[in-house]
Amino acid sequence: MSEPLNPDQPPTRARPSGAGSGELEASRRTIEPIPPGAVPVMEADHISKGFGATTALVDVSLKAYSGRILALLGDNGAGKSTLIKILSGVFPPDGGTLRFNGQDVVLRNPAEARERGIATVFQDLAVCELLSVTRNIVLGREPQKGFGPFKFLDLKKADAMARSALHQLGVRWERGLDEKGINISGGERQSLAIARAMFFGSSLLILDEPTSALAVRQAGKVLDHILTARDQGQAVILITHNFRHALSVADDITVLAQGRVAGHFRRDETDLDALTDLVARVG
Amino acid sequence: MTNEPASGVARTVPSRRIVYGEALRRFMLRPESTAIAAVLILFVVFTILSPALFPTKLTYISIMAIASELGILSIGVTLLMIGGHFDLSVGAVLGLTSYVCVVLMRDFGLSPVIAAPVAVAVGALLGGLNGYVVVRFRIHSFVVTLGTMLIWRGVLIALTGGFPMTVDIPVVFKNVMSGPLIFGFRMSMVWFFAITLLATILLTRSRLGNWIQARGQNENAARNLGVPVDRVTIILFVLTSALAAVAGIIQVARFSSVDALRGEGMELQAVAVTVIGGTLLSGGYGSVVGTMLGAITFGMIQVGLVLAGAPGHFFRTLTGVIVVGAVILNTDVARRMARSKPLGGFKRSSAAADAAIQAGAAAEKGEAG
Ligand SMILES: Nc1ncnc2c1ncn2[C@@H]1O[C@H](COP(=O)(O)OP(=O)(O)OP(=O)(O)O)[C@@H](O)[C@H]1O
Ligand SMILES: [Mg+2]
Repeated sequence: MSEPLNPDQPPTRARPSGAGSGELEASRRTIEPIPPGAVPVMEADHISKGFGATTALVDVSLKAYSGRILALLGDNGAGKSTLIKILSGVFPPDGGTLRFNGQDVVLRNPAEARERGIATVFQDLAVCELLSVTRNIVLGREPQKGFGPFKFLDLKKADAMARSALHQLGVRWERGLDEKGINISGGERQSLAIARAMFFGSSLLILDEPTSALAVRQAGKVLDHILTARDQGQAVILITHNFRHALSVADDITVLAQGRVAGHFRRDETDLDALTDLVARVG
Repeated sequence: MTNEPASGVARTVPSRRIVYGEALRRFMLRPESTAIAAVLILFVVFTILSPALFPTKLTYISIMAIASELGILSIGVTLLMIGGHFDLSVGAVLGLTSYVCVVLMRDFGLSPVIAAPVAVAVGALLGGLNGYVVVRFRIHSFVVTLGTMLIWRGVLIALTGGFPMTVDIPVVFKNVMSGPLIFGFRMSMVWFFAITLLATILLTRSRLGNWIQARGQNENAARNLGVPVDRVTIILFVLTSALAAVAGIIQVARFSSVDALRGEGMELQAVAVTVIGGTLLSGGYGSVVGTMLGAITFGMIQVGLVLAGAPGHFFRTLTGVIVVGAVILNTDVARRMARSKPLGGFKRSSAAADAAIQAGAAAEKGEAG
């Protein structure tokens, strides 16, 4: 089953002190400040959202820049998932504006967000359990051959796409590409979803708690993949409950509490104790 | 047959016994295996019961006439069920579109070349309405189509006044839709096989097919990945009702008539056929070829029992037994076999196995909750 990998795509560079190798360490020691005049890939400007009587978000603003990872922290129910669902077009905000590359945008559904290059890995993982790895990866972007109404799936090309998507991320997939979703573990699902998101040319990668259900090793792998995405120039928004994970990979950290922004830091301006303190105080 | 297991062979060459064992195991895991078994067993049983009458060409022709009409209808229902929906209105849509076809020919004097496509278009429209209501108001399709089933049946009874209507149909059209073919089989069988082939290609080799399966397995996942799940739903309902209309037109051509009860009960027969064919009631997985075999099973029961001199009500009972048996085979036994290790180092991966496991998991969740 081991077909040759696509030679056009170099394997991701090794990261000896990276998150994948056991002990978590900061992925880069010094963090460059955001260059003045840089336009964020995605900007949320005074977003609010309520569900009936509950207020989920009040006046929340944040900016995600290309080549940077923004960690979104906060207690259960702080509004993190609600915020990224707005950024992904799942539902519209009640108030406030979204700006994509400096332009105001209205995202009417997830398909529109995807077309703009916003790729989201949701908390409830998006895997079709009875479809193959290949079909899962190309879902919604299936390659076709033929003409006019006589278009068929190009299954060979789909396999090639899946293979290079996994390769681009440095995922070692040893089982066949015809393995079904039901036999894919949680960590593998995350990897698969990230590979898919990156392969189809996203410029903003959003991940909702990608490491929460994973053992240490798998979590390290997923964090490694996130760093790869950052290195390839994507803007990344990473939701997590794990402060260590946030501190090890993020460039910027935003803390949400009860639907409001409770603090915003560059990673080297804060540490574990400060974050723990803050969340304990405001959460 | 021999090279199929070979694709998954490990480094060592397994013994012949293991190859056959694995081939059998895999066959049992196919969605179609139950229906194939049913066809074979029923053939043997009915041949024993009426050795002079059952294994004859005339019998096969009757079986295929029934199987073709019900099968065409069921193929739509199968695709829809794989996409995660139900359609209880197909029988009523079949009746109403048959009526439209008859009235256009009889009262408006239109040629069937016009009347038939119009009837199919009306079917598509009725299906589109089902789909629109399901998508727009987020109501379960079971309820929506229960409603439209009653509505269209009521309309049909009102329009016909409850009386059968007959119509003269040009012989050529009759022959093209349902007339005798070479060897005496009806043309409807050709349509049935052609539609089976097209629907299989659609399901397994097209983008829409991938979306249908994804819609049935994980609607939210599909939507979040940019699959237009609502459009898929509407297309499925349009397709299902259009196929119901095609089945209706074939019946009109065969009987030269329509009546108020035309198609009644076929909606549930179609579900039975689909389930016998190995499609999961919970959606996401199934086989059009399985449905084809399911329809043939149905035809065999109907004709076989008459020839065996069984009382009329026996038909329903036996059908029911086979449906329940098929579901047990398609889920429980297959699930156990899926969990069993493949023989002799073969690869594990098998769609049917995974489907069976998932169906089992869903059932266990249901029991727990
Ligand atoms: N679809 C919805 N309908 C009603 N209320 C909702 C909905 N989604 C979220 N909420 C409410 O909005 C608030 C914020 O929820 P959200 O899921 O965004 O929190 P979260 O920060 O992602 O929490 P967690 O860490 O548990 O995932 C909660 O009070 C939640 O109950
Ligand atoms: Mg959440």
